[in-house]
Amino acid sequence: MLRLPTVGRALAGAAKSSLAASSTVRTPVRAASNMVEVFVDGKPVEVEPGTTVLQACEKAGIQIPRFCYHERLSVAGNCRMCLVEIEKAPKPVAACAMPVMKGWNILTNSEKTRKAREGVMEFLLANHPLDCPICDQGGECDLQDQSMQFGSDRSRFSEGKRAVEDKNIGPLIKTIMTRCIQCTRCVRFASEIAGVEDLGTTGRGNNLQIGTYVEKMFMSELSGNVIDVCPVGALTSKPYAFTARPWETRKTESIDVLDAVGSNILVSTRGGEVMRVMPRLNEDVNEEWISDKTRFAYDGLKRQRLTVPMVKDDSGQLTVTTWEDALTRVAGALQSVQGSEVAAIAGGMADAEALVSLKDLLNRLNSESLCTEELFPMSGAGSDLRSNYLLNSRIAGIEESDLLLLVGTNPRYEAPLFNARIRKSWLHNELRVAMVGHNVDLSYTYDHLGEETAVLKELANGTHPFCQVLSAAKRPVVVVGSSALQRDDGAGILSAVSAIAQNARTSSGVEEGWKVLNVLHRVASQVAALDLGYKAGVDAIRNNPPKVLFLLGADAGCITRADLPKDSLIIYQGHHGDAGAPMADIILPSAAYTEKNATYVNTEGRSQHTRVAVTPPGMAREDWKIIRAVSELAGVALPYDSVEEVRSRLAEVSPNLVRYDDVEEANYFKQANELAQAVNQDLLAAPLVPPQLTAKDFYMTDSISRASQTMAKCVKAVTEGAAAVDEPSVC
Amino acid sequence: MASSAATRAAASTAKVVKPILSRDLDEAKRRVRELYRAWYREVPNTVSLFQLDITTRQGRDKVKEMFDKNKHVTDPRVIDMLVIKGKMELQETINVWKQKTHVMRYFHETEEPRPTDFLSKFYRGHDP
Amino acid sequence: MAASLVRFVRGGLGRSFNVARTSCVLQQQARLQSSTTETSPTVRPKDAVTHNQLAAFGEYVSEMMPKYIQQVQVTCYNELEVMIHPDGVIPVLTFLRDHTNAQFRNMTDLTAVDIPTRQNRFEIVYNLLSLRFNSRIRIKTYTDELTPVDSAVPVHMAANWYEREVWDMFGVFFSNHPDLRRILTDYGFEGHPFRKDFPLSGYVEVRYDDEVKRVVAEPVELSQEFRKFDLNTPWEVFPAHRESKEAAPKLEAGEAPEKK
Repeated sequence: MLRLPTVGRALAGAAKSSLAASSTVRTPVRAASNMVEVFVDGKPVEVEPGTTVLQACEKAGIQIPRFCYHERLSVAGNCRMCLVEIEKAPKPVAACAMPVMKGWNILTNSEKTRKAREGVMEFLLANHPLDCPICDQGGECDLQDQSMQFGSDRSRFSEGKRAVEDKNIGPLIKTIMTRCIQCTRCVRFASEIAGVEDLGTTGRGNNLQIGTYVEKMFMSELSGNVIDVCPVGALTSKPYAFTARPWETRKTESIDVLDAVGSNILVSTRGGEVMRVMPRLNEDVNEEWISDKTRFAYDGLKRQRLTVPMVKDDSGQLTVTTWEDALTRVAGALQSVQGSEVAAIAGGMADAEALVSLKDLLNRLNSESLCTEELFPMSGAGSDLRSNYLLNSRIAGIEESDLLLLVGTNPRYEAPLFNARIRKSWLHNELRVAMVGHNVDLSYTYDHLGEETAVLKELANGTHPFCQVLSAAKRPVVVVGSSALQRDDGAGILSAVSAIAQNARTSSGVEEGWKVLNVLHRVASQVAALDLGYKAGVDAIRNNPPKVLFLLGADAGCITRADLPKDSLIIYQGHHGDAGAPMADIILPSAAYTEKNATYVNTEGRSQHTRVAVTPPGMAREDWKIIRAVSELAGVALPYDSVEEVRSRLAEVSPNLVRYDDVEEANYFKQANELAQAVNQDLLAAPLVPPQLTAKDFYMTDSISRASQTMAKCVKAVTEGAAAVDEPSVC
Repeated sequence: MASSAATRAAASTAKVVKPILSRDLDEAKRRVRELYRAWYREVPNTVSLFQLDITTRQGRDKVKEMFDKNKHVTDPRVIDMLVIKGKMELQETINVWKQKTHVMRYFHETEEPRPTDFLSKFYRGHDP
Repeated sequence: MAASLVRFVRGGLGRSFNVARTSCVLQQQARLQSSTTETSPTVRPKDAVTHNQLAAFGEYVSEMMPKYIQQVQVTCYNELEVMIHPDGVIPVLTFLRDHTNAQFRNMTDLTAVDIPTRQNRFEIVYNLLSLRFNSRIRIKTYTDELTPVDSAVPVHMAANWYEREVWDMFGVFFSNHPDLRRILTDYGFEGHPFRKDFPLSGYVEVRYDDEVKRVVAEPVELSQEFRKFDLNTPWEVFPAHRESKEAAPKLEAGEAPEKK
């Protein structure tokens, strides 16, 4: 969609207020001169000019009922629920759309206001079906809540109700369009936040309908958020349909680990089963949105799980065994070989506790070969300088920048929430985006500089025409995707990007605190692993095959049987029977992210922790406990028995890992750049193509989402159309 | 509501505590001793009557243990309450209202001790 | 309770109580009238006549026993409730049993309510019936875990087992009870199950053990999670528009009858 006109933006409320720090510095100066004083129920409030009545009331601590107004979306003003009386005004005004005038007295609970609300509610309910008992929104429905509080307690309605045909907009969102109250929140969400023009309205008056014009899928990686945005039960979750009621579920605050953003989530559980995942507000990370993979991949937690320890018997079959047996075998194997013949690979969803205990275990066995699956160039500064591998500008920091250069990444599918931030900044703050890499649809326009590595070289030595734009930028940000660093010339790419960033920094003359170079990771464990001193990439293992290989949830298939000698023993510890488990000799079942208290560090370097929402299935145990038990049997008992003790060990190794919700500033950019320039690696000619190009690559990227039926349906719907996964609807 | 008014009524009179049985600590202690004596005398009877597989000595040790469990209590009213309950238990035992299972319940024979070291806890289950 | 009409006791209204006899007839008439005049069936019809009769009797009783009766109220369902000090259990019950205009000779129920937030957490409730006047009355008093309440057995024989039940379920001690011992729980059972702090699952679970050849009790291990309902809406709420619970006028103990 086109960028919003400035008028619309002024009303975009909270989006504006949570913006740049620099603008908040400026406001008080302005504020002193021309604040407007209004009265809310006689109580004086000072607000900025241009504030709406609704926001002024909010400031006075009074919430106005509303349906169409949403603080992160533009103002529509079409539900009329927020009508309030203004003293001496001839008729009630819509609070969400009306800017305040000096001296207004807003009456939020007067007879006229209440009458207006009651009338609006009566009209809304005229066409709303009375199916709350079978509606999935029941219990968390704005219409239900507000009709109880502001509606009339009896009905004078005796006519028939309008009915609207349901639309099939994909395997994630169920539509019961008869329940729709035409607030158009979903339409505005799709066009403003998600950046797809799929949803819209057709018809007028009583015939107004929300839909996709022609029957098609609502194609967005953020589509699930319309479920939360919808104030009624018109848009509900298809996988969650008829499974639970909100009041009978337990909510656990947790963190998502399916990408490196670390979205804050709320896991709803009932009877030891995850019923759904919802977003949790965190302005610095995900605002109040989450990606579809985060929201809907939870059914992968119930399928393909490893629930019992298994060992390979003489015939090469994996057979079920007890923990005692499996652990004794692991310990025996570890004891029987030299320390240097033991190696470990950590996968993309390993938590910091497991990583540190595995490192301690192998170090006690005199082994140093601990790797992550995800590659990161180790030449130059490598992972020695933290600034080298973090998204230093932070996700929220994108809103302050004016130029963004993306290198070899597709943030829309690698980190959908980061992409949503970029889009928000592009929309509201005139952010200019440029891209070196494959030409993909990012839901906003950008300057495509080409996908050849030669472009990078030109940008680095200042010969590319875009360099002038780059040098004119006040607050430039360069983001390189971790997928680009997976290539053989990763070090060369990082070196080139580092040079571009350094040049942009010096030419922009931005203050010392502004970070230019950023790395966007794709997996949740990478930053913590590098913080703890893991080596990135499995080259060391390939070059020096170990006799015993410990896979900690490594499911990317970087190492196969063929890379190892015949008699080597592979131990797989993880929660899903995916790529790693079939080649293992011993399988140790562990807990997934909803089943353990675990620390994860997102791509910004923000450490957050998950909480136990359900107990691990079968005999699965928390990862660090398994490693701790192995260590005791192997005769090198690790000195921690509780998760608190593991965390104090984490604090010894890297204190930032246990400072939750805090981002440790990384520095030494100059030194990192100097070290990077020392790398003289030629760039390969192959174009920079990130692995996730279109929506169908987005849904299944890790062991959990690969096990998820919902995600499989999404892939099918994307490739074959929404009708391909159409299920007979129950209601 | 009504009784919250009543609650406040009690607050004003709470200074004068209504005794259950004993007026002071000494009297309460005397009652405890009496009860202990009664239990002590009853143990051999109980062992033979219920045909318990324990010795009188074990029974008396258990009585002592049960009394020692509450030895930190100093409030005479709490002591009185415990003595009342102890007396009722004694009555149930003497009159053989209890059965063997009830008497043997004091000994926790079948309970497995909870594991304390890391490995046994790990083998046992999810909870630490 | 919020809807109950609290009626305070006023002095100087020497009114004798002999109307209760006709209250039944009056009540029925009132109901007939209300069914014809009241249009909304969801609203409970008000029965002013019965209400006034009960209120008048309540005033009369509290006037007679000002020392013990702290408050009198008639609930929205036209039930007369008399709040008394725990010392007044015997005198008040005796008075109500023996007074010519009361004759509450029947103790229909005696129970307790645990409200842990209160200083005196237990509310003891006596429900009495007067066959003579076809009338019921509810006496309420209070106590805590350690304060004994006088047993009502000398006044009403029926209180015997009820008090044993309250003792067993709540742990309220009744002094001068002829035979206070457990009535519902198993011998050797520890704790008082109706207390709010008693866990829903209990502390022990019993099973038959084949080795020791008897039933054994072991600490409970839950294999199923508790159902806990979260009734707060996760969406927007409007605290400003929530009606605050109407605080009923409260009466300080002791001051009631004398001052007014």
